[in-house]
Amino acid sequence: MDKLNLEELERIPIPEELEERLSKKIDEWEQNEKQTTRHFLLPRAMRYTAIAASFALVFGVGIHYLQNEEPMNLAEQDTYKDPVKAQQEAERALNMLAVNLNKGLGHLEKAKALSDKAENSLNKQLKALK
Amino acid sequence: MKQRITRTLLVVVVAMASLTASAQVKAFEKYADMKNVSYVYISKYMLGMAGKMATPAAVPGVDVKALASKLTGIQIITSEEKTARTKLKNDVKDMLARDKYEVLMQIRDEGSKVDIYHSIGKQQSVVAMMVDDDDEATVMVFSGNFTMDDVMKMTKQ
Repeated sequence: MDKLNLEELERIPIPEELEERLSKKIDEWEQNEKQTTRHFLLPRAMRYTAIAASFALVFGVGIHYLQNEEPMNLAEQDTYKDPVKAQQEAERALNMLAVNLNKGLGHLEKAKALSDKAENSLNKQLKALK
Repeated sequence: MKQRITRTLLVVVVAMASLTASAQVKAFEKYADMKNVSYVYISKYMLGMAGKMATPAAVPGVDVKALASKLTGIQIITSEEKTARTKLKNDVKDMLARDKYEVLMQIRDEGSKVDIYHSIGKQQSVVAMMVDDDDEATVMVFSGNFTMDDVMKMTKQ
């Protein structure tokens, strides 16, 4: 039965240019498919930004969890539980910084005063020579 | 190939940029559990709490409020032991050079050496002061979102 059908089919005349038309149609479908795919793809810059954002998200979430898992990190814990003591220590540190800055600027002013004095004396002598 | 490496590096740099903001002063955290070294850390939270009950400045001619309100943390590292002091000083000098701190002031007065360094950034600024006395070495690290003007305001009294 199958054999007969095949024979019959072979006898049917193939229309002219059928192969060419089929090939053209297939190319057309392929072209359409490519265009549709392109619409769904993001531009290159967007893809890299998306990758970078994913990295940042993964690292951020990871670090957040790691920090939560290690609350005993000495360096990140407040030394003072009492705000008054913390305030005293902070003020002591800030005052020490300010005092040293003042000391440094004081020396600078002294140096400036000396320099001005020397300049005045030099100017006086130059005037006397004239 | 070269382009691919550049793109990969770009992606990694952008991804890591979000993590570097708080990494700067972590360099000093290693002293927290170092032998013969005392480490004090005052957080932004505790500074805020302290600020609420602020009293007038104890030292005449000094106004610390301008800077205090902009700080996010203070680290104080102190050592009296000779070997630890030498290590502390060398480590701090290395750190300051590596992280590109600039010298703000150096004072040599009555046997005391004071070096003040700064690193002013958009996200975080740091002022580090190293005081080396005859019997003690102290490093103070002030970090926060401040400018050099805020630092210098402390002296304009």
